Amino acid sequence: MLEQSLHQTMRIACRSVLGGLIGWAPSLALAEDDSQHFEKHVRPILVDRCEACHSGAKGKTSGGLALDTRDGWVKGGDSGPPIVPGKPDESLLIQAVRYHDDGPQMPPDEGGGKLSESQIAALAEWVARGAIDPRAAAARIGGMTPDEARQWWAFQPLRKAEPPAVRDPAWPRCDIDNFILAELEKQQLAPAGMADRRTLLRRATFDLTGLPPTPAEVEAFASDADPDAFERVVNRLLDSPAYGERWARHWLDVVRYADFYDANPATRTASCELTEAWRYRDWVVEALNSDIPYDRFVVHQIAGDLLPSPTCEEVYPAGLIATTFLSNGVWDRGDADKEKIISDMVDDNIDVIGKTFMGLTLGCARCHDHKFDPITTEDYYALAGIFYSSHILKELGAKGGEYTMNRVPLVPAAVVARRAEFEQQLADLNACIKKLDEAKPPENNVAGAAGAGDADRAALVAQRDQLEREMPPPIPLAMAVQEGGMPGGLFPSIQDVPIHIRGSYAKLGPVVPRRLPKMLAGDDQPPMTSGSGRKQLADWIVAADNPLTPRVIVNRVWQWHFGAGLVRTPSNFGKLGQRPTRPELLDYLAAKFVAEGWSLKRLHRRIMLSATYQQASLATGDASVRDPENRWLARFSARRLEAEPIRDAMLSVSGQLDQTRGGPAGDDLTIRRRSLYVQTARWDRSGYAMLFDAANPDASTEQRTVSTVAPQALLLLNHPFVLEQARQLAARLLKEVSSDDGARLKYAYRLLFGRLPSEDEVAVARGILQSGGANDPVAAWADLAHVLLCSNEFVYLD
Amino acid sequence: MSSEVTISRRQALQRAGCGFGLLALADLLAGEARAGTSVSDDRAAHPYAVRAPHYAARAKRVIFLYMPGGPSHVDLFDPKPRLAADNGKPLPFEKPKLERTKTGNLLASPWKFARHGESGIEISELLPHTARCVNQLCVIRSLLADNINHTGAALQMCTGEQAFSRPSIGSWLTYGLGTENQNLPGFVVVCPAAVFQGAQLWASSFLPSAYQGTLVRDPKQPIANLGDPTGDLARQRAKLDALRQLNEMHKRDRAIESQLDARIASFELAFRMQRDAPEAFDLASESAATQRLYGIDSPVTDLFARQCLLARRLVERGVRFVQLFDAPMNNAWDHHNGLRESLPARCLAVDQPIAALLTDLKARGLLDETLVLWGGEFGRTPTAEGSNGREHHPFGFTMWMAGGGVRGGMVHGATDEFGWHAIDNIVHVHDLHATILHLMGFDHERLTYRYGGRDYRLTDVHGHVVRQILA
Repeated sequence: MLEQSLHQTMRIACRSVLGGLIGWAPSLALAEDDSQHFEKHVRPILVDRCEACHSGAKGKTSGGLALDTRDGWVKGGDSGPPIVPGKPDESLLIQAVRYHDDGPQMPPDEGGGKLSESQIAALAEWVARGAIDPRAAAARIGGMTPDEARQWWAFQPLRKAEPPAVRDPAWPRCDIDNFILAELEKQQLAPAGMADRRTLLRRATFDLTGLPPTPAEVEAFASDADPDAFERVVNRLLDSPAYGERWARHWLDVVRYADFYDANPATRTASCELTEAWRYRDWVVEALNSDIPYDRFVVHQIAGDLLPSPTCEEVYPAGLIATTFLSNGVWDRGDADKEKIISDMVDDNIDVIGKTFMGLTLGCARCHDHKFDPITTEDYYALAGIFYSSHILKELGAKGGEYTMNRVPLVPAAVVARRAEFEQQLADLNACIKKLDEAKPPENNVAGAAGAGDADRAALVAQRDQLEREMPPPIPLAMAVQEGGMPGGLFPSIQDVPIHIRGSYAKLGPVVPRRLPKMLAGDDQPPMTSGSGRKQLADWIVAADNPLTPRVIVNRVWQWHFGAGLVRTPSNFGKLGQRPTRPELLDYLAAKFVAEGWSLKRLHRRIMLSATYQQASLATGDASVRDPENRWLARFSARRLEAEPIRDAMLSVSGQLDQTRGGPAGDDLTIRRRSLYVQTARWDRSGYAMLFDAANPDASTEQRTVSTVAPQALLLLNHPFVLEQARQLAARLLKEVSSDDGARLKYAYRLLFGRLPSEDEVAVARGILQSGGANDPVAAWADLAHVLLCSNEFVYLD
Repeated sequence: MSSEVTISRRQALQRAGCGFGLLALADLLAGEARAGTSVSDDRAAHPYAVRAPHYAARAKRVIFLYMPGGPSHVDLFDPKPRLAADNGKPLPFEKPKLERTKTGNLLASPWKFARHGESGIEISELLPHTARCVNQLCVIRSLLADNINHTGAALQMCTGEQAFSRPSIGSWLTYGLGTENQNLPGFVVVCPAAVFQGAQLWASSFLPSAYQGTLVRDPKQPIANLGDPTGDLARQRAKLDALRQLNEMHKRDRAIESQLDARIASFELAFRMQRDAPEAFDLASESAATQRLYGIDSPVTDLFARQCLLARRLVERGVRFVQLFDAPMNNAWDHHNGLRESLPARCLAVDQPIAALLTDLKARGLLDETLVLWGGEFGRTPTAEGSNGREHHPFGFTMWMAGGGVRGGMVHGATDEFGWHAIDNIVHVHDLHATILHLMGFDHERLTYRYGGRDYRLTDVHGHVVRQILA
């Protein structure tokens, strides 16, 4: 498919080059003089004085104008083509270099100022002679030549790679290890030793569930000599509901998930808030826990509203909920320019789909052809038509007012109607009661003065009470995407849309039929005639011959296990991304992943059961000096826990963790539920999680940064939540271990670190306990617990 | 592989040095010693260590006095006799298509303007104190922004981008320069009320979070989690000593020593911040005369006076970027109605404190190296909204700069005779940003950060330094 499209593009490109030559044939007779004039007098001016700001090759085209190719000026910039061959006085370029009063004056002061008179004359003569420009332009698709695009690694079909042979056959435990070790042997690096069982269990438990192992789990694993012991641990962890909660958070980073705009429940605006976003978060947790095949996971998020219910129900809630992926996006909600909001929504959707699923920065082609990857503006607007033919909003709202999100019922229409009927009856009854109350003079309200009206009223009240008892539950809603364009917008139906010149809906170019990017999906695409085309787009993203999708997800999973991906720019597999460190391994894993039914749990198992994953974090020999970034994986990369596991671990060891799953998010970190259920608000960066480098919900986050700053330490030292966990942990130690301080300390270490304290550590701890004063053991233990919760060992993973 | 260890930015970030650690302090001292030469580029280990800019800077610090909502240029800094002459008549040319709501006819400014200082710059009677400082001001009457809504326009003014998340000016500058006091945050935002777009206006976005603005809502509670100042510091010291000992034991035989060291240092710095920050934020230690100068004695000026005085104390202590929002409530300067009553009230609240800040900075010899910037996300329409208001107006409006490297006592640029379009020496927001970076010693095209596979900068692909206003 890919090949075919490239050939086609090449043919077209060749035709147009030929066409150009033929078109210019009449002037060939003069060509020698003209092209000499160009080379000698014109090209140097263009190179020295213009191309700093007007060069397609350098990616700098001020005013949209490129002067480094003939195509550049023929196409022109924002003000149209600057050269009218044969007519220097009508050419904007000549007017500009002459510093005409009304119009641009080029080159500007900071570009060295006005050209010399002889230079201006040379340019004018060149234009007068017909602006002969012998510079040939390479045919390009967006930022690549067809050749480059065809050879680009990420667009290649998945290659079947056999695990390579290794010199030390004892080390590998699975195929992954052959790939890793073969390269280590080539680099003359020795893998690290195996992590001890305590370390491995702590690593695996945080990795899969985001929580620390319990002392009992540590002991069970440490004393289990069975060679399959670790496999059973991995299976147990994958089966735990905490797995979905942990890995959902990774996914939510990539899809720019937020629970709300406004962190303050009192000031939220109902019509446009993300009130039902949590259903999507819960759906992701559930999808991961049930190991829904990844291809279906993808299709649900792009086109779930178009999927039939697998159980033939009228409504398919999961499908509707999953499309919140598209509606929980980033745009300026308050923009009074409603058309701009719509075009920003479309852009957000294209951008997040490209990055999330395919590692493509499709959004870059909104205003101009992609500067680096083979995506054209036409491709972009062909995709844009799909999203302009869908809508996220129910109403745009008045100018200056807020819009209203779609909220789609998750129950059949009859249930919705029944609830509405009840609500109507209730409203009617209440109105009647109110009328009676108003009609009656107030003195009649005195007790005992019963009249005929009172009996009526009592009957009505009884009726109302019964109605309230029988009232069906509120209708569950989802912020789902729906087919059809935005009502009241420029494109209100299912339709193709025109190219927006430089991204602006106010400047429209030719209409582009809805379709997939040509370079990737080929020229011969079936037209999108049924519906918006979202379903076709989704199906193509997970199609067997699209190599990007499995590569991208396998790489993400690898990154979330190891700290860095095989491709270290996980959302950009294009030219500006990094190349894979182990292309064969990436393809091997991707191919296996697809062959084994797109199962993420199988992929986790495959990775975690490898010797590579189970290495210690301390390198053998000089491996960490020779490979500081750990590209070759001759050790496990030790790391700090993320914001959520740090907080969850505190709650877990203090015994305070409330493991209730799902539902709307809580307001702040003082709740006792897992951090997944503490709200992320787009307008608030002051919360706990952001301080510890949680993902910015205003952009797709491919990888979190890790910062270590004093405000984090201040929070751990002084925040009431942390102090409370320290007190609770102390209380737990005092309650559960009734004997001496030594036994309590051992239990504390087993709880927090999964090990026993050393003598030196015992001495430090006793120092704190003793200096805390013997008369208040609770306070002294709370101080010690606080120190342990702040310790590096508690927040770092080996 | 060469024996020279190279560390990528990503890796460097993961190594994630301590914000303001002991090592950073050492770096800082070293950095000061060789100021002007190249300073450590290891931002990950020492994000706040002092760094040299591209070339000699004209200013070392910035105070941005931000008036959220959009102050009315035609009522404050850009007098238009033609508005008075044509009061009540329609604007004689077509308004731009970009429009929020339809405004009515031209509305003369209800206030008088007078010439001030040697330069004779005209300033509204609403700002008598500011007018006295006119010789320090470079009044730019030709600002141009792209967005007509608060959210987009404020984002553009603070980050250069209208819709998407980008690092703010203060984040770029602390990323570029580090900061001079390792015991205080490098970028402080004082914003009493929640404003539109909130934290996005001072976010570090894709820059490491160390460069995010530290929000101070209430100058009495300056930095989050500073703890109880009356608490038992000796006991806390004992706990920190124990923590340090345990962390040192944990560090043995571990490969990621620099990360672990950084975290140890971060606790030490936190301890020092607890100690030093209250002093920096303690306005009561200022003399009564100074407090009066700013207007701390009057309920009208008290809030912004405290903000301004705090700004001076912070820059004096080496904080790199201070952004003050005049925000007793959201959008205090958004005068759609009640212009005749509310605009004078806002001016009363900020005028004296701002003049005091300029005077005080100058008296202490700080103004030469401190760039002070005043303005909002846009101006307001010369036409009336209702009978007593003005709409949003990004097509031509006024900001002023003072101090470090800027020519005082000058007017730059102009709007047309109605105050509608900037027509002369237009200064786009991107140009303003390029100029701020220039004054701080940066080529705005070279202060970049690679993210998601491309290099980003404050001015995106735009911006020209406004050379005419440089001293």
